[in-house]
Amino acid sequence: MMFWVRKIHKWASLLIGLQLFIWVFSGLVFNVIDHKKARGNAYRQAPTVSEHLIAEKDLLPVETILKAYPETIELTQTKLLEKPYYLLTQEQGLYRHFTNRFLLVNAITGELTKVDEKLALNIAKASYIGPGDATSTNLFITNIPDYPKQKNPTWQINFNDDLETSVYIEQGSGRIVGHSNSDKRFAGFFFMLHFMDYGDEGSFNNIQIMLFAFVTLWLALSGLIWTIHMLRNGKYRLKTSR
Amino acid sequence: MLFIGAQFVIWSVTGAYMVFFDIDYIHGDSLIVNHQTKIKPDNLTYPTQALFQQYPQAENLSVGMLVNREVYRFNIDKQAFMLDASNGKLLSPIDEQSAIAVAKHFYADDGEVINAELIIENPPFELSSRHLPTWRVNFDNFGSPALYISATNGKVVTKRHEFWRIFDWMFRFHVMDYDDGGNVSNWFLFIIALLALFAAFSGLVLTYYKMIKPMFSKRKNSDFDNQSPQPKMNVPTGDQP
Repeated sequence: MMFWVRKIHKWASLLIGLQLFIWVFSGLVFNVIDHKKARGNAYRQAPTVSEHLIAEKDLLPVETILKAYPETIELTQTKLLEKPYYLLTQEQGLYRHFTNRFLLVNAITGELTKVDEKLALNIAKASYIGPGDATSTNLFITNIPDYPKQKNPTWQINFNDDLETSVYIEQGSGRIVGHSNSDKRFAGFFFMLHFMDYGDEGSFNNIQIMLFAFVTLWLALSGLIWTIHMLRNGKYRLKTSR
Repeated sequence: MLFIGAQFVIWSVTGAYMVFFDIDYIHGDSLIVNHQTKIKPDNLTYPTQALFQQYPQAENLSVGMLVNREVYRFNIDKQAFMLDASNGKLLSPIDEQSAIAVAKHFYADDGEVINAELIIENPPFELSSRHLPTWRVNFDNFGSPALYISATNGKVVTKRHEFWRIFDWMFRFHVMDYDDGGNVSNWFLFIIALLALFAAFSGLVLTYYKMIKPMFSKRKNSDFDNQSPQPKMNVPTGDQP
């Protein structure tokens, strides 16, 4: 039996040795990095809370809005640049990052609003306290950089600060998806390595890691049996027992 | 060294569990029906003007569904309220029967409800305290699924089944956080991971000398299997013959 244990151990180590090293190394990186920095929010500020521009009861009545947009699942309130809006969910995903479809209606004027480049830029700037200036704006429909799980079209606003901050604004709702910067991307790189997520899907359920995990199980269990065997044969000394 | 070996086994087993089970399944997404029920504006017969007269402090008004009826939800001083939008009747906090009705409405399988319990304080690990008070509705099905229904707004705040609970345990063992579960930056993990890095590296070196090099050398190396390299977690110690 020990013959097979050793054989399994050697061949498994040949297959996954390098990845095992990467796993342990990236795992150690997660242990030592500053998790606060890795969130990417170094230059993020909470939206300024001001007095209501207008009392809530004086906004356009929700009944009128819902009559105008009858295909609505839920009506909620949101604020963009301190102005009140109604957010009408037209298609609801299980989570915010799943596919959702929204309409944004100005709660004072009733105007249907689109989060265009200019509005997205201003929302991003209002959330930003870094030293940089916004240099470029891109709209991503799918494969949103830094947010692989986000399934909704998203604006990316790039700032030219020391951390290369990017701010992401969801096109449908005006929601700030998040801030990202070089610290977060550094951690993200090691997550990619640890999860073998080479397609940047933001997932650790990919086929390559399943295969490697399967072989790793054999490596670890054969190593365990081998170690126990050697312990029982007198503390590693009788290693050439055969 | 045996100790690190044990942790290697734990890492492999817990890691394998986490990668083999689809994370959306773990999160219980398949337990829930994602209803797309539309609001019927004609059912909003209780005007919001009356609402603001009755509750002048009402803030953050929203309109949505509670199963199949239109409701207004709003806050007064961070406390959540829910009204029937057809007649203005106060629905919150919802009672056990309503909580079970909501849970059944969203539950994707047709298992029987075992019971419902109201959690007001000291939430279990799987429930964030910001959702309190919450009804936990337990279903009699494979994996002991439970849906958590907010008592104040009647929404599903989260769901759990055994596969997720096991996943949480696996994660704790994976990051060696044996007290509260979320902290990757613990000293214990640091020390073990550092030793493990050394072990993995020596394993790599061994693999090179015992496997890769012999494969490429034309030299007949018949004693290669009998040479029995030390396992990767075993560094040479002084007591060898």
